[in-house]
Amino acid sequence: MKPIAILTLLSLAACGPKQPPAELIGARNAYANAEAMPVTQQYDPAALHEAKVALDAAEQAFADEGPKDYTTLDLSYVAERKAQIAVAKATVAAEEAKQAAAQKELAAAALAARADADARAEAALKELAAVKRDQRGLVLTLSGSVLFKSNSAELLPEAQNRLQQVAQALNQGEKGAPLVIEGHTDDQGSDTFNKSLSEKRAQAVKDYLVKAGYQSSLIQVSGMGEADPVADNKSPEGRANNRRVEIIVKQPTDEQKQ
Amino acid sequence: MQRSILLFCAVAAAACAKKELTTESTTAAQRGAESVGAEQVPQAALALQLSREHLARAQELYDDGDKDEAKSMLTRAEADAELATALAKADDEKTMANAAMEEVRKVQSSY
Repeated sequence: MKPIAILTLLSLAACGPKQPPAELIGARNAYANAEAMPVTQQYDPAALHEAKVALDAAEQAFADEGPKDYTTLDLSYVAERKAQIAVAKATVAAEEAKQAAAQKELAAAALAARADADARAEAALKELAAVKRDQRGLVLTLSGSVLFKSNSAELLPEAQNRLQQVAQALNQGEKGAPLVIEGHTDDQGSDTFNKSLSEKRAQAVKDYLVKAGYQSSLIQVSGMGEADPVADNKSPEGRANNRRVEIIVKQPTDEQKQ
Repeated sequence: MQRSILLFCAVAAAACAKKELTTESTTAAQRGAESVGAEQVPQAALALQLSREHLARAQELYDDGDKDEAKSMLTRAEADAELATALAKADDEKTMANAAMEEVRKVQSSY
């Protein structure tokens, strides 16, 4: 072979394609890995883009300066780090999303548990008293003749048992529920007397509930006298229905729930 | 005139000699990583250690007069510190997410 041909072949071999350094190969692999992960695309595409920009800079340095130049090596190192950073940042965002979903689920579970407790409490109360809902809240109506001696605010022995059960049922439900206890009478006797009697009766019921463990500050009492009848006072049955105590269960405020 | 030129050159040389490698950005990134607990997370701690080593190497290169190479080495140090921060935060979030999901499992199993 002629010397010039040998020289030409050697020159061609020397000018063959450059081999990328290990750092650049590492950077390419790290970026490919980061790009392939759904979490990076979904949660932090900006960080992934930054990694791509860094890789492109490293590739350019490799093309311009060669595989051994410090610029190529340092840019490749940084590019690999940027890809790893993109994965880590996307992981942060993904884990935050998981926490938010868990908090939502816990809040829903708490609501369901509360609704369940309220339903159980209401069912228990229905065994003990007439129960209805109106604009005031959940209303338990206890007959005056079951609770008190005639014209008296002294609780009958059997009334105390019933009120004990009412207190237990109330404690099953929403914690911190405020109560309003209203005493009512029929229209027999003076307005003044009936107002005073109804107030004393409401207080007697409150005192018993507090003794049974209900928080005193949550209970208001009110003596309505004969002002709010539910039946006609002309008949004995009507008057008996009007002689009553109503325990109104309100919705607690957020502060009261704590 | 000659004396003025000589004086000027002396001042310029002194000014150049006083110039140091600008490392504030890198050291701030390292402090940031420390503040989020990188030292307590193995992979983050490794990245932080590499950052410190690259910073030291950059300073050596600078002191040897290889200023451009020193600045290039500094970019490694900064990237390492940034990675240390990201890894520490990811570890922290994973722990909190696992705790939240465990709480959900407990509530669900009580039904």
